[in-house]
Amino acid sequence: MHTRSALSLTAAALSAVLLLSACGSQPDPTAAAGEPVSGGTLRIAYDTDPQCVDGQQVGQNTALNVTRQVTDSLTDQDPETGEIVPWLAESWEVSEDSREFTFHLREGVTFQDGTPFTSASVAENFAAIQDLGARATQGSSYLAGLRSVETPDEHTAVVAFEEPNAQFLQATSTMILGFYSSQTLEKTPEERCGGEIVGTGPFTLESFTPAESASLVRYDDYAWPSSLARHEGPAHLDGIEITVVPEATVRNGSLSSGQIDVDTAVLPQDEETLEASGFPVLSRPNPGMTYNLLPKESKPIAEEPEVRRAISKAINREELAAVISSHQSPATSVLSQSTPQYTDLSAHLAFDPEGAAALLDEAGWELNAETGIRERDGEPLSIELSYWQTVPFLELVQQQLRAAGIDLQLDRATLAEHTAAQESGDLTFDFYNLTRSDADIIRTVFDARARNVNEREPSEIEDILTETTVTTDPAARTALFEQAAVKLIEEGHAIPLVELSGVWATSPEVQGLHFEASSRVQLYDTWLAGER
Amino acid sequence: MSAGLSSSQPTAPHVQEAEAQRTGASHAGAQHTQSAEPSRTPGGRPSLRGTAPLGRIRPGLILAAVLLALVTAWALAPDLFTDRDPLSGDPLQRLQAPGTGALLGTDQLGRDVLSRIIHGAGSSLGTTAIAVLIAFGAGTAIGVVAGFLGCGVDAVLMRVIDVLQSIPGLLLSMSVVVALGFGAVNIALAVALASIPAFARVARGEVLRWRSTLFVEAARLNGIRTPEIVVRHVLPHAVGPVFALAALEFGSAILAVSALSFLGYGAPPPQPEWGLLVSEGRDFIASAWWLTTMPGLLIAAVVLSVNRIALALGSGRSRS
Amino acid sequence: MRLTPTAALVLRRLGHGAVVLWAAFTLAFLVLYVLPGDPVAILLGGDQSTAAPEEIAAVRAEYNLDRPLLVQYLLALTAALRFDLGSSFATGQPVVEAIGAALPSTVALAVAALVPAVVGGTALAVLAVNARRPALRALLSGLPGLGVALPTFWVGLMLLQVFSFRLGWVPALGAEGLLGLVLPAATLALPLGAMVAQVLLRALDRAWREQYVTTFRAAGMGRPRLLLSHALRVASLSLLSVAGVITGNLLGGTVIVETVFTRSGLGRLAESAVSSQDIPLVLGIVVFSAVVFVLVNLATDLLYPLADPRTRPAVRAAVRRAAEASAEALPAAGAEANQTHSPTPTRPTEEVRA
Repeated sequence: MHTRSALSLTAAALSAVLLLSACGSQPDPTAAAGEPVSGGTLRIAYDTDPQCVDGQQVGQNTALNVTRQVTDSLTDQDPETGEIVPWLAESWEVSEDSREFTFHLREGVTFQDGTPFTSASVAENFAAIQDLGARATQGSSYLAGLRSVETPDEHTAVVAFEEPNAQFLQATSTMILGFYSSQTLEKTPEERCGGEIVGTGPFTLESFTPAESASLVRYDDYAWPSSLARHEGPAHLDGIEITVVPEATVRNGSLSSGQIDVDTAVLPQDEETLEASGFPVLSRPNPGMTYNLLPKESKPIAEEPEVRRAISKAINREELAAVISSHQSPATSVLSQSTPQYTDLSAHLAFDPEGAAALLDEAGWELNAETGIRERDGEPLSIELSYWQTVPFLELVQQQLRAAGIDLQLDRATLAEHTAAQESGDLTFDFYNLTRSDADIIRTVFDARARNVNEREPSEIEDILTETTVTTDPAARTALFEQAAVKLIEEGHAIPLVELSGVWATSPEVQGLHFEASSRVQLYDTWLAGER
Repeated sequence: MSAGLSSSQPTAPHVQEAEAQRTGASHAGAQHTQSAEPSRTPGGRPSLRGTAPLGRIRPGLILAAVLLALVTAWALAPDLFTDRDPLSGDPLQRLQAPGTGALLGTDQLGRDVLSRIIHGAGSSLGTTAIAVLIAFGAGTAIGVVAGFLGCGVDAVLMRVIDVLQSIPGLLLSMSVVVALGFGAVNIALAVALASIPAFARVARGEVLRWRSTLFVEAARLNGIRTPEIVVRHVLPHAVGPVFALAALEFGSAILAVSALSFLGYGAPPPQPEWGLLVSEGRDFIASAWWLTTMPGLLIAAVVLSVNRIALALGSGRSRS
Repeated sequence: MRLTPTAALVLRRLGHGAVVLWAAFTLAFLVLYVLPGDPVAILLGGDQSTAAPEEIAAVRAEYNLDRPLLVQYLLALTAALRFDLGSSFATGQPVVEAIGAALPSTVALAVAALVPAVVGGTALAVLAVNARRPALRALLSGLPGLGVALPTFWVGLMLLQVFSFRLGWVPALGAEGLLGLVLPAATLALPLGAMVAQVLLRALDRAWREQYVTTFRAAGMGRPRLLLSHALRVASLSLLSVAGVITGNLLGGTVIVETVFTRSGLGRLAESAVSSQDIPLVLGIVVFSAVVFVLVNLATDLLYPLADPRTRPAVRAAVRRAAEASAEALPAAGAEANQTHSPTPTRPTEEVRA
């Protein structure tokens, strides 16, 4: 036991060093030295409103960063290797056909209200997520096809599915399948959104005011950290104060003047100054699907493979690096680098203006020298794109496409408006990313029998995707996803642009802040150096 | 109803204005005797007193007129003033400080800020002008109809105005933009809706004032039909203050559009709309001050100039 | 007629107020329900949602969103009459509670901005009217114009940069206590004070030229005394008549100021409600601001005779409406329009007095 925790500590420290150096930031060596001390309140500034802090219901990163501190999961995922490791489940077995998962639970785990965590908690939480239906924005798909949760004894839970479900094991490591006490599950979804959640995690949620703040305090009896954690016992911090500060300059100024400890959304233009004045900048690409242009192939223009492929070739992804954070990368695949099944497909995403021009000429789109935009039968090659995210790089994409004779009309909308446009089915192109530390996200989005983002007929791609759900061998699964991703790119179903990376900056006192596998944070190991 | 009451209550506060006007006209002589003591009206304009030289050169006013002429020219023919592309830039030349390369610097995509300001004049002034025109048209119509027909119609229309006024302008504009979608005309409409009450009240006040005058009553006694009285006798007099208000509203409309952009309800990129330039540039206050300061100063200067001219317009009419 | 004129006035104004409230509610309801967005889809997470259509339909039914528009309207209206404005789509919190929670902070901000705005604006106007050197006078009377020409969010961000981040005098966040109130209040007070100054400059100037003032001056009454005893009192009337506009600007201004300074309050609540199309919450805030508007106007009616002894109770309503017709029309950016009248030599009332 002792050797194991020492080993995992070394591994975690090593991975942290790798992680930080990979991001190019140099943590102050003197500050990093020293033993962790207990105490102090970590003041964090969020850029957006978490709206709802119940991880079983929401998909927003800001919300899940709150939930992560309050709930624990059956398993954890190593951010470096993608490997699934023990947490509340000490061990598990997966049946040959990936339909049945048997978890052996840790003993002595209690919820923050004092009730014990048992196999019954697993059963009732999974049932509650199914009851949430559409409200469990991601959880419902993680548990799709759930047949039963059997509890042969207090510390054994057997989860069975109708169909093979290879993605489920990774899903158990997310806070989306985190556990609440029975009392919490009796509350209405609205009450839970508003902060009435009690989990087994290292911090209890004391208060939550939508659009304003959240306040967490240490759970003193906590003694069941993930096998990835660097220490045991309760968390180092006394508490966490989260404030929603929408203005970037206010967050930045507050950090540099010592009014907050962590800024969770640093703007590219402020990174250099912050780093130069000793404020470490941390970043990790969100795993899952990168920011992609997603053609709706039942619509004119988007239905033409030549145009879709030409758009991808006309985009100079290296140039996009100039306008995004230095910690962020242009996309090199449909999946981002931090996804366990990622492979580098940049050869398929090279900037090729001649190739783009040839494809468009071939499809009959001819350049109108006057407007600089290509035309066919008097119709300009014009694409309207509705989006709601803060993504200034789209303006550069627009500029690059204009150089190729493609007119990209950007329609920045509110989330509400964008959602309405999606619902109406009038979009010719969609644009978004999706975070998940498993390539299964490709299946969720592109499978013609699932979300079918491309509005296309089933093809060979579906066969490959189906195979991924049955295959448990990691290498074979990765190979299958690569095959699918290459097809998606080459046939123009996905036009990857940029990876999403949360770019955080902390005050020099903040130690041991690291991202977990889905690039959200686990603050259990975090501590504040100095007098506090 | 109000008009009738006001005739019988000469000491009521609303008569102050009438008194002021009379002082300016019938008692011009008396005013002369006071002019030993310097007393100018606020806003920097010369007072109504006869001593104010009509043709005196006012440098502030000239400056304002020159600036407005310049931005109007930018709006009409931007290419005469800059040959740089406002929409495309070189990402390698991004965030250059003002200097010889780019007079007012470059933005985060390497686009020339001056060029964006010049090319933005068209959409900024256009949106604002549409907003003021809509508010002017709708507000004046409501005010004139309410003021002239009086009683029931007046009460109903004034309640409508009350309703519009009871919702804070910015909240109203935001909801309308969300409802109608982004885009110049929708933003103009949203801003206009919030300033209709001002026009309606001024127009109604003017009509009430004029419709009880002797010559309008004489016209009515002579059997001239109501619409004709409105058009020929009331409107020409009532329209002056409404015009002055329009000029003032122009300034506040520019600011309203910029406030909407700040809250994320602005023009779509890459349009270089002024309000959008200021609000986009705010993220660079610490790293590239010129992005928000340059268009911000321009907006302030234009609003000031318009206000200055509105004042001159108002005082000019009073004097004539 | 058993009612005293004052009571009759209050009753009539309350009646008008009720009509305005109902109309504001209806207007807001219509605008919000024709919005293109689907609040349920937003509620369920937009892009991030992997929900099936039938599951979405179930949630929609839960909020009555599948009923005919008229039924939804009547349900909402009858509930509103019982002071039940429903619950927020986004958070599930009752709307009345959400507004109640946001209110104290916004009221504190509004008061902290209003007091210096009125005091400062009045001082500036008095100084400008009394300034003897033309250059100084021009400068002072030009200041309000500048105050209304600067974008509020820009002013706020600049104040933060200088006083919080560079000098470190006041905290930018955690706006508890008086110290945190300084910068937001200053930002909000600037355009407000400028507007007050503009209104007063106009009114003082007008009062200065009134018949009785001329008479007093001929009788040898000093300028300062005249200013304080008469002119300022008369000028305050025009300020009173723009109280409704000032309140509206205050509420609108808090949307921006609270966002810039990360303060909790009604403005920020409104902003997030509109952007997430949280219909019950937006509706509640609209109704609330209409209530404030009606109350402020009622208060103005009742205050008029106190400020102006010349006004008899019986004509308060008429006076208010006439003053409203001219003065209340003042726009946010400038308050000069009511000043620009042509001479009216034929006006009957004047002939009586001339």
